[in-house]
Amino acid sequence: MTLIAFVLSVFLGCASLAYGFSQAGMTDPARWFVWLGIVWLLSQWRKLYWVASIAFALVVLGAAYGVWNNFTTIWMLLGALGGLLGWDLSDFARRLRYAAPTDDIAGMERRHLARAGIVAALGLGLALLSLVIRINRLAFEVAVGLVLLAALGLTRLVMRLRKY
Amino acid sequence: MSRSLLPGFIIYGLLLAGIATVRGEFIALALPLVIYLLAGYLFSPNEINLEATRHLSAERASPGAEVTVTVTIINRGSALDEALIEDLLPADLTLRFGHTGHLIRLRKDSSFTFSYRAAGPRGGYGFESVRAQVNDFLRVTSRAVELEAKGQLFVFPPVTRLRHVAIHPRRTRVYAGNIPARVGGTGAEFFGVREYQQGDSPRVINWRVSAHQQDVLYSNEFQQERAADVGIILDGRLRTNEFARGHSLFEYSVQAAAALSDALLAQGNRVGLLVYAAFLRWTIPGYGKFQREKILFSLARARPGGSNVFADLEHLPTRLFPPESQIILVSPLHEDDLRPLVQLRARGYQALVVCPNPVKFELSYLPKNKNVALAARVIRAERTALLQKIQGAGIQALDWDVAEPFDQVVKRKLSRPPVFLRSTQ
Repeated sequence: MTLIAFVLSVFLGCASLAYGFSQAGMTDPARWFVWLGIVWLLSQWRKLYWVASIAFALVVLGAAYGVWNNFTTIWMLLGALGGLLGWDLSDFARRLRYAAPTDDIAGMERRHLARAGIVAALGLGLALLSLVIRINRLAFEVAVGLVLLAALGLTRLVMRLRKY
Repeated sequence: MSRSLLPGFIIYGLLLAGIATVRGEFIALALPLVIYLLAGYLFSPNEINLEATRHLSAERASPGAEVTVTVTIINRGSALDEALIEDLLPADLTLRFGHTGHLIRLRKDSSFTFSYRAAGPRGGYGFESVRAQVNDFLRVTSRAVELEAKGQLFVFPPVTRLRHVAIHPRRTRVYAGNIPARVGGTGAEFFGVREYQQGDSPRVINWRVSAHQQDVLYSNEFQQERAADVGIILDGRLRTNEFARGHSLFEYSVQAAAALSDALLAQGNRVGLLVYAAFLRWTIPGYGKFQREKILFSLARARPGGSNVFADLEHLPTRLFPPESQIILVSPLHEDDLRPLVQLRARGYQALVVCPNPVKFELSYLPKNKNVALAARVIRAERTALLQKIQGAGIQALDWDVAEPFDQVVKRKLSRPPVFLRSTQ
């Protein structure tokens, strides 16, 4: 189950970027992303899990480059999202290797995929929302409220991080 | 390295790019990553409070025998989405069945139990702790904890049963035993004839000798049999035990020491054990089954070792052994050992050397060719000369070809004949 999701994520990430780049007439970089996807899948097969981090960074870098050059944002966003999911699932697959056959592997996979899917959907939704909603003017009170909310959120985050 | 660092750096990079270029798309690109990290931190466990207990199906085992280890993890803290549990198996123990690592989910106040079977060679093994790595479901946060779950497993050397080991120390203890005490009294073995004394049983009167005398009766006297002090020295020096290609005679020496101590304790003697290796390990002399356990514990932990101080037998602490007691040295022997052995004998100890034969042992795995045969002849001659010198000094030497079972060698060379045979000799 995890393997299929991982392959789909890598395909989503690399194919979206390849398509976005080829749409903009950059066929060579588009081909590179296809190769990156193949290398990523092969490295996972050969259990070279460290490749996933490099591939994830390259995919996001490619997406950022695309955004900077005004390529279609949705493809870049989907590319980054696919890269993130691929990176997450690659690590999850590595962790599953430590599980014994008697452990509830199927249950863990199901739960992980469901939660990672929700997180990805939420991230994509918010990103799309941020692209659609444009605020030209912000009232002072709202700005103060947002700052307070951000400060509160950061405080909570720091408090939680101190545990680790 | 924390797994959250990479997305963290990417988020910072994208945010800086967004601010620098005043482009919202960069921020949008960073949002899924921000959500990912926040979800990880949000669902990380608040309190990690795990306990572990361990149960071993046996604390003592024989080499290669399987022991079931059962570990229970109890979660007293908050619910854990993902916990990687790994029991650390002591070195040299091998996993025979089951798994030592598990990836589990632990609800609050729940427990998880797993078992596996392990086996290993002779030795003392300490189980210390169980390693747990607790992650949130995305492994953005991760904490490793060591859960104390102690356990001990001793794999004893195999103990060969020896029927009787005949030793003749110069001095015995006052307690009754099986060792001829060189003193007349009640016993089984004929010792001599003396004039009849009041109280002697008519059955002990030697009628044949008495018939040759007038008005005087003579009684048979028997040799008293008492317990003795026995010190077993196990030679664990690398220079005498270790050979090329990782072959070692030490295991055979340990087996011999175990068999001898078992037999001598069964005969009622007071037995102590000294392991002479990189350092000295002394088991204080004692009697009975409890002492047998102590010696087996010591033998289970015995390891060959080398040190400059104990490279030869010059530093043998003879004061540990009672004067004129029996000393049994289990050693393949080195040519330098002759002098300390003779000194030991000169101090009044009755010495017996059990030598696992290194020449035959090496020949068993070396290729059979002319050079090896010639070398073997030379070394065998040297060794025979050494053993003859040792025996010439009044030390009993038992040369043991390890291909032959130890009990058979002992039966042939160290056992006393039964009483009915002794009386006819």
